[in-house]
Amino acid sequence: MHFSNLSRPALVPPLLSTAAVLGSFAVPSFGQVSTMQTPGMPVPTAGQTTRFENDFNPAIGLVFDFFASYTDAEDDDFDGFDIDLRSAELTGAAWVDPTAWAYSAIVFAGDEVELEEAAVLYTGFDGNETLRVGRFFVDFGKQMQAHEHALRTPDRPAVLAELLGEELGGDGVQFDHWFTAGDDTIVRYSVGAFASLIAHEHGEEEGEEGPEAESLERPDADELAFTARLTGFTSLTDQQTLQLGASWRGIPEFEFHDEENDAEAEGLSNHVYGVDLTWAWTDPTETETWTFGGEYLISDGDLSAETIEPVPGTFELDVLNDEAHGFYVFGDYAWDSANSAGLQFSTVEVAEAGLEDMDQIDLYYTRNVSEFQRLRFAITQTEMAGDEDLRFGVQYTAFLGPHAHGVNF
Amino acid sequence: MHHLKIPARLAALALLALSALAGAARGAELRVVATTPELAWFAEELGGDHVDVESLTRGKENMHAFGVKPRTIVSIAKADLLLENGLSLEAVWLPDLLLAARNKELTYDTGRRVNCSTGIEPLNVPTDLSRKEGDVHPMGNPHMALSPLAGPVIAGNVHAALVRLDPERKADYDKAHAALVERLAEAEQRWQKYVPLFEGLGVVVYHQEFDYLVDYLGMQQRISIEPKPGIPPTPSHLAKVIAVVREHEVPAILVAPWANNRQAKSIAQKTDAALLELPAMVGGAKYATGYIAWIDGMLEELRVAYGLPEPDFDEDEGGEG
Repeated sequence: MHFSNLSRPALVPPLLSTAAVLGSFAVPSFGQVSTMQTPGMPVPTAGQTTRFENDFNPAIGLVFDFFASYTDAEDDDFDGFDIDLRSAELTGAAWVDPTAWAYSAIVFAGDEVELEEAAVLYTGFDGNETLRVGRFFVDFGKQMQAHEHALRTPDRPAVLAELLGEELGGDGVQFDHWFTAGDDTIVRYSVGAFASLIAHEHGEEEGEEGPEAESLERPDADELAFTARLTGFTSLTDQQTLQLGASWRGIPEFEFHDEENDAEAEGLSNHVYGVDLTWAWTDPTETETWTFGGEYLISDGDLSAETIEPVPGTFELDVLNDEAHGFYVFGDYAWDSANSAGLQFSTVEVAEAGLEDMDQIDLYYTRNVSEFQRLRFAITQTEMAGDEDLRFGVQYTAFLGPHAHGVNF
Repeated sequence: MHHLKIPARLAALALLALSALAGAARGAELRVVATTPELAWFAEELGGDHVDVESLTRGKENMHAFGVKPRTIVSIAKADLLLENGLSLEAVWLPDLLLAARNKELTYDTGRRVNCSTGIEPLNVPTDLSRKEGDVHPMGNPHMALSPLAGPVIAGNVHAALVRLDPERKADYDKAHAALVERLAEAEQRWQKYVPLFEGLGVVVYHQEFDYLVDYLGMQQRISIEPKPGIPPTPSHLAKVIAVVREHEVPAILVAPWANNRQAKSIAQKTDAALLELPAMVGGAKYATGYIAWIDGMLEELRVAYGLPEPDFDEDEGGEG
């Protein structure tokens, strides 16, 4: 399965032979050169900044993300206490040329060690263009560029986790360009092509039971996975900003495989479309901030697969081809640079559960003790098919060394 | 009617041409972006009509928590000259902003990025670059513009940049610089007369932004409400601050508009010290319309808060409005 065991596990029917494409497109982590952050994006710059220059050395950083929780769930597997080092992320970054910046992120999660990002950004064009090559997170909406520990809430909103994946990245290339529109607005677009954009989550084990989504071994050009994003960010007044965006992630060709039962379904496709809006207000001292925003997503195409046995001893995959919708909205108030609290609601149709609605509410308080450590308390209620999980969580994140989570706006 | 359209079109074309010429003339102005309002003030004073100046921050903003806005990135992208405070005041956000804005000309090498604290002898230079010392600035206290002695240095840096980038107007910049230096010298004579009034008096601050002013006046900074720069006070530290204020009978607590003035107010109430919110940048108070007026106003606010007599100004001297 591809859902965080922190967010909604007990509510997903334990369908042994079912898997969701929607939550299964993802991989990598994060670290970007352009830290043009906008209100509502995950986490401000954290960790060491360029205050201490590393001109000729890679800037090396480490992030620990701990999560302790108590969950009141009907499923005994998820009920009770848990203390977990969710991830430890080792990052390195350096200018490797006057016009090229390279970075990498290696993530230790559970028993898994993975190179989640390794990319080079070429910035030597005449204008405001960037070409990124390597393995990196996709540019979709306001949150998908960020690693999970950098989010505003402990977990990615349910709609994003379900329709795109907890983390979504791949090996590919992305072209990025921004331009001004008047004195108060900037517009940016990006297009990306990837060999694969199949998601997974931290700690996920290989060879899980049931059908798993797989990309083609050597896809043709029209079988690559693609992304595109267009966004405008404008100053409404000195104190208010507004951002609008539209994103697309397309996988024109993929397959489902059930290795255990030797069943497969080929020639499948899936497309996710999203729109986002974020409004923010800051007081004249830049201390107090209100941020409201949300994203609406539609996933269209082949969503999930279930292994069936029409004839005893013969297995086939029954693929669900449909549309799944979902959105999240949030309101966040920071009363000073160290303290903020917010409320987030997310709802999504879960393909694995026959497009049953899953609702998730997060109430959270974040204390940025300093730029090197962050403490968060969060209450998460997840509801699906009349069942409810209630989780009380404490997240502690420590940043050792430089670790700027600047993502493109 | 048809024959009237031709002159009308000619007139429109002429207007367009004039607009283009006017645009070209405006284009000849240097687009100057300053990270703080006081640096913008120096650029306006020295550049006059030859510059189009914008400050990235407003007078009451917390420079440590500055948030990038679309207008900010557009300004940087179009700027001919960037004036920064330096001493790592903008280190958290300016490098990334420059990367995002992609204005490749704004570098120290081209002379289009200017560190305005060059020539300032910084206070509080740390000997231990470790987070255990709080939010340390490795080159020293960056709030140098609050020193009444900083004006001529900043003016010199800005003047040199303007002359370097726009040598054809050197005569104008030289003239403006000479006039400004004279005004600053007159103002400094006026400010010097406050020094005997404040010398040795105790003061408490929230953050270290007023250190240059306190140092200039020869005051004794008894304690800071922040236990270390950028570190919010703990209850035990607040108790210590109250004890120090009482022990030394500190008359006033200085805070910036963005500081946690709720805690400072609580200390003031418990100790009978005056709570004085001073503008940490030009534009942070009504009187702070420019650098000289800003320093003038702060010194007067301080004098009144401390219940001190007026300095012995000569009759022909006075502050700038």
